[in-house]
Amino acid sequence: MKTLIVNPQKCLGCMQCMFACATAHSQSKMPFQASLEKPLPRSRIHIGAGQMNEGFPNRCRHCDPAPCLLACLTGAIYRDHDTGSVLIDPEKCINCASCAMACPFGAIRFFTYHSAFGNKTIAMKCDNCMDRRAQDKIPACAQACKTGALTFETLESASKRKTNAIARTISPQGQELSDCQLSDEMNLYNAYKQQLSALC
Amino acid sequence: MMNQNKYQQKTITTDGQLLLKKAEQDQIETVWDRYEEQLPQCGYCEMGLSCRVCMMGPCRIDPFGQGPQKGVCGADADIIVARNIDRMIAAGAAAHSDHGRDLVEVLFKIGKGKAQGYEIKDSEKLRRFAAEYAIYPEDGDNDLSIASKLARALMDEFSTCQSEIFLTKRAPDKRLNLWREAGLIPRGIDREIVETMHRTHMGVDNGWQSILLHGLRTSLSDGWGGSMIATEVSDILFGTPQPQTNAVNVGVLKPDQVNIVVHGHNPVVSEMILHACSLPETKQLLDEKGAKGINVAGVCCTGNELLMRHGVPVAGNHLMSELIIATGAVDAMIVDYQCIMPSLGAVAACYHTKMISTSDKARFPGMVHIEFHPENALNQAKEVVKNAIDNFSNRGDIYLPVEPVTSVGGFSVEAIIKALGGTPDPLIDAIKGGKIRGAVGVVGCNNPKIKHDHGHVTLTKRLIENDILVLDTGCAAIANAKAGFKVAESIQYAGPGLKEVCGALGIPPVLHMGSCVDNARILVLASALANALQVDISDLPLAGAAPEWYSEKAVSIGCYFVASGVYTVLGPMPPITGSMNIVKLLTDGLNDVVGATFAVEPDPEKAADLIQKHIESKRQALGI
Amino acid sequence: MKYIIIGNGIAGVHAAESIRHIDTSGTIQMISDETTSPYSRPMISHVLAGFTDSQKIHIRPPNFYAQLNIEPLFGKRITQIDIPKKQIHLDANTLDYDRLLIASGADPRPINAEGQDLQNIFFMRTVAQVLQIKKALLKTKRALVLGGGLVGFKAAYGLMHRGIPVTMIIGSQYPLSMQVDPTAGHLILESLRKKGLDVRVGLSVTSFEGKQTVQGAFLSDGTHLSCDLVIIGKGVLPSKAFISDNDIQTQSGILVDQHMTTNNPDIFAAGDVAQCYDIVRQSPWINAIWPEAVLQGRIAGANMTGKSLTHKGSLGRNVIRMFDLDILTAGLVNPPDNSSYIVISDHNARNRYYRKFVFNNNRLIGVVMVNHIEQGGLFLSLIVNQIPIQFPLKNFLTRTFHFGKMLKK
Repeated sequence: MKTLIVNPQKCLGCMQCMFACATAHSQSKMPFQASLEKPLPRSRIHIGAGQMNEGFPNRCRHCDPAPCLLACLTGAIYRDHDTGSVLIDPEKCINCASCAMACPFGAIRFFTYHSAFGNKTIAMKCDNCMDRRAQDKIPACAQACKTGALTFETLESASKRKTNAIARTISPQGQELSDCQLSDEMNLYNAYKQQLSALC
Repeated sequence: MMNQNKYQQKTITTDGQLLLKKAEQDQIETVWDRYEEQLPQCGYCEMGLSCRVCMMGPCRIDPFGQGPQKGVCGADADIIVARNIDRMIAAGAAAHSDHGRDLVEVLFKIGKGKAQGYEIKDSEKLRRFAAEYAIYPEDGDNDLSIASKLARALMDEFSTCQSEIFLTKRAPDKRLNLWREAGLIPRGIDREIVETMHRTHMGVDNGWQSILLHGLRTSLSDGWGGSMIATEVSDILFGTPQPQTNAVNVGVLKPDQVNIVVHGHNPVVSEMILHACSLPETKQLLDEKGAKGINVAGVCCTGNELLMRHGVPVAGNHLMSELIIATGAVDAMIVDYQCIMPSLGAVAACYHTKMISTSDKARFPGMVHIEFHPENALNQAKEVVKNAIDNFSNRGDIYLPVEPVTSVGGFSVEAIIKALGGTPDPLIDAIKGGKIRGAVGVVGCNNPKIKHDHGHVTLTKRLIENDILVLDTGCAAIANAKAGFKVAESIQYAGPGLKEVCGALGIPPVLHMGSCVDNARILVLASALANALQVDISDLPLAGAAPEWYSEKAVSIGCYFVASGVYTVLGPMPPITGSMNIVKLLTDGLNDVVGATFAVEPDPEKAADLIQKHIESKRQALGI
Repeated sequence: MKYIIIGNGIAGVHAAESIRHIDTSGTIQMISDETTSPYSRPMISHVLAGFTDSQKIHIRPPNFYAQLNIEPLFGKRITQIDIPKKQIHLDANTLDYDRLLIASGADPRPINAEGQDLQNIFFMRTVAQVLQIKKALLKTKRALVLGGGLVGFKAAYGLMHRGIPVTMIIGSQYPLSMQVDPTAGHLILESLRKKGLDVRVGLSVTSFEGKQTVQGAFLSDGTHLSCDLVIIGKGVLPSKAFISDNDIQTQSGILVDQHMTTNNPDIFAAGDVAQCYDIVRQSPWINAIWPEAVLQGRIAGANMTGKSLTHKGSLGRNVIRMFDLDILTAGLVNPPDNSSYIVISDHNARNRYYRKFVFNNNRLIGVVMVNHIEQGGLFLSLIVNQIPIQFPLKNFLTRTFHFGKMLKK
């Protein structure tokens, strides 16, 4: 089954995924109109600044077992058995933050959502783009990402890509650019970011 | 690093640390807060790989090799990075050159009697400069008529009617010929900037080398054009700087006087303010309000201009501008243009400080606009001063937790030659003999990506410890003054050779040469040294450094230093890492074209090593 | 296999589910002194405040027992456990067990004050008690809350939300003194008082007075306060009266090892009654909180079927969102004055948040967060998994600290 795979090494912090996620969870699903909606749609993927101030995409991993699901006082957090996605029922959530206290990845935020009754603030996190999947579309963040930091594929295919890349580097002809080998440009950029962050 | 508190992590300056704490308690958002919110900044843009030049885009190139490798038009990474750099150069050159143009306008209008309050302060320099343009006094000529004629000639430098910017003749012949042969000679100040915008339009110049070469040419139209004209005309109108004492840091604000802070760049505004403060009608207003006096202090380059000519104290540099307002002691802050953060109005709204903008080119949120033109400048200045004095009674609590640091500034080239006894020989002998190993221009801005003032001060310290004379301008000069490098006693920080020479001449080991347009003074000095040794600028044991730069102006300055033959080390990395070809050209290949290169080194200790090695290798090549 | 679970709270429920997940044929009996089906105890404060009603706080559907083939025995209390015979005695019955889980929870700690038998003096532990409080609220003019801990805090919030003037009497200098440090405590105190809560510190109630219902209270400083409703939240004590010390080892609670087993291999304990190894205290301790009960119940249940799951250790932790303040705490937040502990903190006056971190042996052992608590789970994970910290500690203090900051590139 295809799933959202994150390759943090490739994140450039452009935040197009956040933009796409918010738009995908708006009422209009169109960027300009979405920016005028009340409440404003919010992203469920969060790009933070890593140790070198590089981008790091953080989202819900839909864990199994899910600490948030076990911690939820009201049973608002449940699992969709078809996709394995961990979802939050806006009706039952009481905004107690027990889930946030349990999430080892800090993936949960609290805001209101257009289908949350009475504009109440509730726990929100990635919902694996269930609506888009139902229309045969891939998750919005993977669609937006141009570097391959977020992809929508099976775990096997992602692993295979990685092992192929490693195999190429040790083969006699293996000099080409691969997943593992970064370009000279990326190496220079990364070295500079490392140096700058070490000075702070 | 744990023992540094969160304020010490942002700045090395005591007044900065204390005011950061106050700003936090006063709920003021600072530039550092906004920088943190922006992280992570987009890697495409940091690498120069995003392009917004046309609406077939916007485009970006994936540096990981899998996403798009070309923009919609077909431009690859080299072209996109080159175009982006050129536009930065153009913007920076435009800022300096427009500043120069405003001064030329005043010079012209003085001649017509339409520049109220302005006068020719340095008549000798006026005539000397005019003579460079083959303008000699005829019968009936006075300063005003010479000024008009000179202004006309300077206006031509901005135009299309020349094939070479005249002031490039000040460079050594070898350098001039190199420029001519490389196609780098700038033809007109506005022309080169316009051509940059033309070339970087979609579908014009798509050769990454030719794009960059034109960029270097544009930067030369700034350094040997717009900036140089700005400096010379400012000297003519307001006086050529001579060494005098001044003071630096927020302690220059006075608890019992009306404090006016001038921020921005062009002395056409700040000089008028200063003038208006000394008028008798001002004294009367002060008495009425019960203020003991009126105190003008500067921020950034306009502060440097007043410091250089009048010894006016400087309250701080770029990153300090919000914190200075947070003292609560600023009755009015007057701004013109460049490096003025649009956040200042919001900061001032939390105190009694009145923010006044003065340039029709520069509006800001939360500021009252009192527009200055050459015709009305003095009247507007009086209005501004009255506003400030009126506001004095609205002061709340003030926080001035430090004593000002004394410093000596005003080292124009004329002043340096004078200090050397009338010729550059003592300096040349000291360099030849090795007591002074070489000289470095430490210039440029502040940037929250580098701990405030740490880059400037650390680099300067290492250099002077190693008998390298430091000439500084801009925010760097303010940082070094604040660090105490600019009094006679500062020679204690210098190595034995530098200590001896500076001690004998009675000058500090770090010479405050002025504002950012005054980097042109460094070019003039470098030319004088090169001519005396009969070599090119690129042969001299010189270097440039911009340890904490942020602005597009700095990109232009860096380029014109390198294009003039001066090896220049940058602290923050410019957006070039997206193209290894361009990185290699700028850090290596340019040696074959202009005899100098860039280097990037954010750690000032390591930057000092690079510069030292460079200077020693130049000395060796010269056989000294 | 005969499984008996004493207790109908969340520990018992998760244990039952664990057992049934593994053993589909064994019999499971669940005994409870409450008569309602399992409900979310932390939500009773929401019932008090009026955010929800008692019918909406159940955590399992009505057919829960039938679906899992569990025999519920409600309204019964255990009188004795006969260990050699492997039997438990209820009021009238005796039941056999092969594996026994004691998840009897805790009862409110009594206080030392005269006049406690007056009407309208309540504890707030069960939904039944909250329903009684709600009835009495119709006539309440002024309420008194004893205790600044979690129960007292939530009780005060609920009453204030209903527009009832409340005075909170606490023994320490600031509320939540078991959870927070002095800095956070004073921030909280300030915030409560700004909201109109009358908080008296360093005091206790010595006696209540009134005719049949309470009408006032005398405080330890001699002052008198009128009140017509009292809620006591002075902590809880494990419900282990039916256990004889000779048979099962106890301290403050029933001692269990990392498999949730007591000193008797067929008897397990989980939840508020169990005292197990605390990760940061590094000694047996009771952390009477919901997520612990969940985890311990799951492990105990699985191990009752013969598995050997290990509990890393419990961790005290809480998150509270009320009075416009968000507070998250975990572990040891007031370490002894000892150079082996590293403490870093930041009170950001502009963003109005406070964070404090306590480290020992290069591992995080305690955290206090006031506001911007959304990513607190990161810190808990570091504590629970005892991860050695390999990045600059000052990173913890930034509001933008997140998972990516912990990874080396």
